[in-house]
Amino acid sequence: MKIKLIVLIIFSFIYTEAISQKYITKTGKIEIFSQTPLFTIDGVNKKVASILNAANGDIVASTLVRSFRFEEALVEEHFNENYLEPNKFPKSIFKGKIVNFSDVDINKNGTYDITIAGKLTIHGVTHDISEPGKLIVKDGNITGTTSFNVSLQDYKVKIEKAYKKAIKDAILLKIHFNYKLYKKS
Amino acid sequence: MKKIYKYILIIVVLGAIIGGGTVYYVFNKPHRNIKDETPAYTYTAKDLYKEYSEDEEAGNMKFGDKVIQVTGKIVEITNENNDISFVLNDEMESVNCALDSMFIKNNKPLIENYDLGGDITLKGKCDGFDMIMGVVLTQCFIVK
Repeated sequence: MKIKLIVLIIFSFIYTEAISQKYITKTGKIEIFSQTPLFTIDGVNKKVASILNAANGDIVASTLVRSFRFEEALVEEHFNENYLEPNKFPKSIFKGKIVNFSDVDINKNGTYDITIAGKLTIHGVTHDISEPGKLIVKDGNITGTTSFNVSLQDYKVKIEKAYKKAIKDAILLKIHFNYKLYKKS
Repeated sequence: MKKIYKYILIIVVLGAIIGGGTVYYVFNKPHRNIKDETPAYTYTAKDLYKEYSEDEEAGNMKFGDKVIQVTGKIVEITNENNDISFVLNDEMESVNCALDSMFIKNNKPLIENYDLGGDITLKGKCDGFDMIMGVVLTQCFIVK
């Protein structure tokens, strides 16, 4: 009887540990790209944070708009001062989940096709999104990647009239997160 | 008659030079020089986190986009593809300082001197307050 109890306790301890596995990154990368004859918007943000809950596939991601850096100082200035109005809306946030997380085995190395769905908030505007991506499991680490377009109009990004025609409405976002298992110290 | 044409020509040429110069300047504008900027504020990481977390909106107004000099204990060092960040103060109450990429390129040995548990003073641009990362400073330079 005692042995059974001990086994049960140990099992539930391991089970709890397993299901409370959170993976985290504070160095996630988002590249943004848009090209027209007049303007090339080429920026990158390497301070994107994200937590992936390995129990259920929930994902949150957040970043500060000001962390985006651009090749051209002019674009950086416009992006930071005008277009995204970071003084009013300093953050961009995603709250959602990997829809087909049951297809993923985080204990088995491999590349998994996933669908990520949830709410994306940019410039104070929230939209539901659903995009394909990949989850690469390798030796206890998880890498998540996805790539999709966002419409500037959808998020009410303020482009001056003068540049409106010069900048394409669709901006490509390329996302790359290298998650590590979160160990409480 | 001829005099007017001459003046028009001068104005047109001047206009072209000014216009061309402006376009050149605008498209080749230099990035903001964080390295040489005097910090708007000097704080300990602990106080910076405390103040910012108590009133995020006030924090954004006060610190947002400003250059801040911060001193604190290193609780985490992240290095991904040679992008290095020092996380200061406390894992749950952190000031996350991402080093400037040029600075990283030119100061590898200096950066390697800093270890977990040690103190560091950095200067960088405050991007804001993030729910996971705490206070975020980017384009940071090590002061001491």
